Amino acid sequence: MKAKYLSLASRSMQNSLAYRVSFIVNMSASVFYILAMFFLWRAIYAHRTSLAGYSWNDMKAYLLVSFLSSTMLSWYSESRMSSRILDGSVAMELLKPIDFQAARLAETAGTTVFEGGVSAVLVTIVLIVYAGVMTPHSPAAWIAFILSFAVSVLIKFGVVYISSLFCFWTSSGFGVAWARAAITNLLSGALIPLAFFPPWLRATAYFLPFQGIVNAPASIYLGQATGAAVWGTLLVQVFWCVVLWFLGRFVWRFAVRKVTIFGG
Amino acid sequence: MRLILRAWRRNAYLYRRIMGQNLRAALEYQSDFLLSVGSAMLTQVLGLVFLGVVFSRIPTINGWGFWQIVFIYASIFLTEGFASLFFEGTWRIGYFVNHGELDRILLRPLSPAVQLLSSAIGMNGIGNLLVGGVMIGESLTHVHMVWTPGKILFSVILLLSGIVIRTSINFASNCSAFWVKNAGNAVPFMVHSISEFAKYPLTIYAPALQALVGIVVPYAFIGYVPAGYVFSTSGMAWIAVLCPLVALYCAAVAGLILRTGLRQYESTGN
Amino acid sequence: MSLIEVRALTKTYRQAVRQPGLRGAFRHLVHQRYTERVAVDHIDMSIERGETVAYVGPNGAGKSTTIKMLTGILVPTSGEITVDGIVPHKRRMENARRIGVVFGQRTQLWWDIPVIETLSLLRDIHEMPAQEYRKNLDFLTELLGLDEFMHLTARRISLGQRMRADLAAAFLHSPAIVYLDEPTIGLDIAVKERIRGFIKQVNRELGTTVMLTTHDLGDIQDLCRRIVIIDHGRIIFDGALAEMTDAFARERVLHFQLRTPCPTAEQELQRIPNVTVSGLSDTELSVRFDRAFISARDITGAIMQIADVSDFRIDEPSIDHVIKRVYDGTLNLAVRKGGGA
Repeated sequence: MKAKYLSLASRSMQNSLAYRVSFIVNMSASVFYILAMFFLWRAIYAHRTSLAGYSWNDMKAYLLVSFLSSTMLSWYSESRMSSRILDGSVAMELLKPIDFQAARLAETAGTTVFEGGVSAVLVTIVLIVYAGVMTPHSPAAWIAFILSFAVSVLIKFGVVYISSLFCFWTSSGFGVAWARAAITNLLSGALIPLAFFPPWLRATAYFLPFQGIVNAPASIYLGQATGAAVWGTLLVQVFWCVVLWFLGRFVWRFAVRKVTIFGG
Repeated sequence: MRLILRAWRRNAYLYRRIMGQNLRAALEYQSDFLLSVGSAMLTQVLGLVFLGVVFSRIPTINGWGFWQIVFIYASIFLTEGFASLFFEGTWRIGYFVNHGELDRILLRPLSPAVQLLSSAIGMNGIGNLLVGGVMIGESLTHVHMVWTPGKILFSVILLLSGIVIRTSINFASNCSAFWVKNAGNAVPFMVHSISEFAKYPLTIYAPALQALVGIVVPYAFIGYVPAGYVFSTSGMAWIAVLCPLVALYCAAVAGLILRTGLRQYESTGN
Repeated sequence: MSLIEVRALTKTYRQAVRQPGLRGAFRHLVHQRYTERVAVDHIDMSIERGETVAYVGPNGAGKSTTIKMLTGILVPTSGEITVDGIVPHKRRMENARRIGVVFGQRTQLWWDIPVIETLSLLRDIHEMPAQEYRKNLDFLTELLGLDEFMHLTARRISLGQRMRADLAAAFLHSPAIVYLDEPTIGLDIAVKERIRGFIKQVNRELGTTVMLTTHDLGDIQDLCRRIVIIDHGRIIFDGALAEMTDAFARERVLHFQLRTPCPTAEQELQRIPNVTVSGLSDTELSVRFDRAFISARDITGAIMQIADVSDFRIDEPSIDHVIKRVYDGTLNLAVRKGGGA
């Protein structure tokens, strides 16, 4: 990694520290969402022990992973990317000797380190206070989960980056971001585990990159994937990560013509 | 009295005039318009898919059936749709304060509240109105109930109260920008996301959360309480009488916060 | 009573002190410290109906703070203001009906709607009778050439057109007073001149009082008889522009074109007090003098006797020069305050 990208990352981390209060308050949206889900599922599980193969304990663990994922690469990083395009400062970026995509990744990484730190603290507190939530079975499973989770953030970056590029064709970032969030939330398993889906939708979801964002790390965390399946899950995630990176380059090359040829 | 009436009429007229212009401007960005309407609809439909998936495995949650929960869920989106379409300006208060644009508003002989409310139009609201409306309509046809003229009239009052509550909460929380002086003020966003709790029956929550959504930030009066009235859930009909009062209360609080904020702005400038 | 009366007007801001870096941020979280900054410090000013006043000073001197208090969007810490008999911050809306404001750095046009629609919205906001609107619009359209871009949105027009539209918006409702905050900033010379011409004409024909803050000395020279200079929140000069140059720029330079060389000029002129030769060549002789002690006529007379002059011109110091020296602190105007003005 070149020094300039490291410096971008560290600057963006400092920036998120400067706006730490906003960040943490922003995170409350994820907290509320997951709390609502928690109580909804609690009410549902009040009269049954298992649903679609998930026990109440499984579901609590699943919600934890889903929450963790939702706090990473939050709205802030997403809107920072799209506003670069919307306010025209992307033209200034073109003057600099840096790669646009790599620069956005560096910035996102810097912010995510901060977000990850805060979430890790929150999750630790939940695990300690609320001892009933299960954790990965072995240290190896922990490591696999952390790896898988790290890759999941990269996949999320790939999705968010590509969707942000659509702002070259719009004048406001909200529509793009909402549509992106709606699709990601459903197909990643953030709303509900993929196992609850009707078979056709489940099959579709498994063939798309989004499942790598929540479903994959959750399946490792919950111990649904063990042994070789862990490697398989990780491999699929890395595959999507790479594909999205190059897809991002492709869309960028197409999108940037809006600036270089049509003048914005 | 006549003067007040005249002022209201003037405010309403100018609000309509400005919004008319906003609408024309918004329609010029056709792709934005379609995208925001489309994505709002998508968000809601996927939310509905979520409920459908859950209810495909269980019959009721705390005694509430699928269509009844759809009603609550859709009420949240429907009022959000009204708030976006007609009062999107609330979300721009932070921008006005932080960029000194409030000066411009203060220099015009028209109520700042009217100018702020009419400063933007959220076309995505159309998507929410459409899907929310259809969902509510569907839910009403799927649950057997008896409609009387009185019930219809009061249901309309409940809807209007919901819109007022929603807008007032948005407005009040965005006024936090008068005190939280940075571009990334997250308070309004946080308050807005409390409405997440209001999408499901209040009884599933712990008492503290029930108090939060029922009293502190009374989103429960937008969907849950009206649903209790409309579906004649036992013991809830009389609570619905409170809705219009809660609406008035919220509007008054929002007005008070704006006034305090403006006073603060006038003494510190920007 | 004057149209604008300002007495001992003061505005103090409280500012949070923040040390740089993370440690500073944490320290601020625990223990907040503030300093008081006096932006405007006991200023007095009266402006009469129909005047055009330049309100100048270096950046951060307190100009904008004063304007904000005069327009009613900022409440003074102490002191009094009345504008046309109204205390602006107490009756802001009423004050707003009688004033027009242009912030050069910001537009008051609605960004996404055609200029003409903005004007028609403002008509409704100001509740103007149709006839008056028609009349003013025609007047403004002609003077500012609005029809070129009237049907375009503010987003699409150039900076110069935007400023013309902003001026139209400010003058539309026949305000008694117009505050112009840097109305020509960033504009090319042709637009500047058009705008100055417009302001002059409106002032002359409608008697609109104009208060102008600017860094552009052309604006001041062209538009204003009176100049008020503020620095560090205090008024350091308030008087006629000519008076200022008279009082603080008495030095003149006379340049003579010579037909034949005059090597003895320097020697000859030494006899006259308060005159120095500042340049001498075969074709030109320059003489510096203080006009309080000797007139250009006397010098010219003296030189005509010793040299063969074909032409001459006189250089007055620009107010640019004077104001710059005031800002630099090399020229202290404070002694003049109350004395002459």
